[in-house]
Amino acid sequence: MIPLVAVISLRGRQSRTVRLWVPLFLLWVLMVPLAVLLSPVIFVGLLVCRVNPLRAFSVAWQVLCALNDAEFEFDQRSAGISICVF
Amino acid sequence: MNENRRQILQMLSEGKISADEAERLITAVEERPAGLSSAGTSESASKGRPKYLRVQVDAEDIGKEGPTKVNVRVPMQLLRAGVKLAGLIPAQALQRANVAMHEKGIPFDLSQIKPENLEDLIEQLNDLSVDVDQKDEATKVRVKVFCE
Repeated sequence: MIPLVAVISLRGRQSRTVRLWVPLFLLWVLMVPLAVLLSPVIFVGLLVCRVNPLRAFSVAWQVLCALNDAEFEFDQRSAGISICVF
Repeated sequence: MNENRRQILQMLSEGKISADEAERLITAVEERPAGLSSAGTSESASKGRPKYLRVQVDAEDIGKEGPTKVNVRVPMQLLRAGVKLAGLIPAQALQRANVAMHEKGIPFDLSQIKPENLEDLIEQLNDLSVDVDQKDEATKVRVKVFCE
C-alpha cells in the first residue's frame, strides 16, 4: 500500500517541536489527473529510452509502496528535522 | 542419540556425504557446547528476516555548533524496489556510471546487481553491521549501519 501520511517534526532553537501531519493521500488524489495527462508522454519517453513502460510503472509503484515506514532524522543542537512516512 | 547426529548419519546412509565428512561434522557438533546450540537456534529463529536497514551518523565538530546526528531507517522493501529500479537503467547509462565510479576509486559493477540475486543480497544483509569511528583533533564521527 502506498504511504498515506507523512509526519514532519521540526525542532527549533528553544527545543520547541512542531509536528506537521501531511496527508499524502490528498497529494495522490491531486496527482492522478496529472499522471493520466502525462502518461502518454512518459510512455513514449520510456520507449525512446528502450525501457519497458509496463515494467517501469510496476517498479515505480513498488518504490512508492516501499516508502511506507521509512524514517529520516537529522538533528543538531540548534535544530532538527524528522520525517516519518506511514 | 541427538537430532544433529541422527541427521548426519542419515546423510551418510543416503550417500550425500562421505564418511570423513560425517566424522568431521559429528566432531563439530560434539565440540559445540550443548547450551549454545539451542540458544543459537532460538536466537536465529526469533531474529527472522530484517525489515529495516538503519544508518546512524554521530558527528561532533569541536568548537562548532555541537553534535550532528543523522538517523535513517530504510525499509528492506525499498532496497528491493531500488534494485529493481536499477535493473531498468539502460546498459549505456550503467556503463557510464561504472566508469564514473571507477574514476572515483570505487571499482563496482552496477550491472552485477540483478533482481535474481536480490534475495541472496538481502539475506546477507541480515548479518551486516558496519561501525566506523573517526577521531581527530577537530571532529569525531561515528557511523553505524545495521539491519533490524
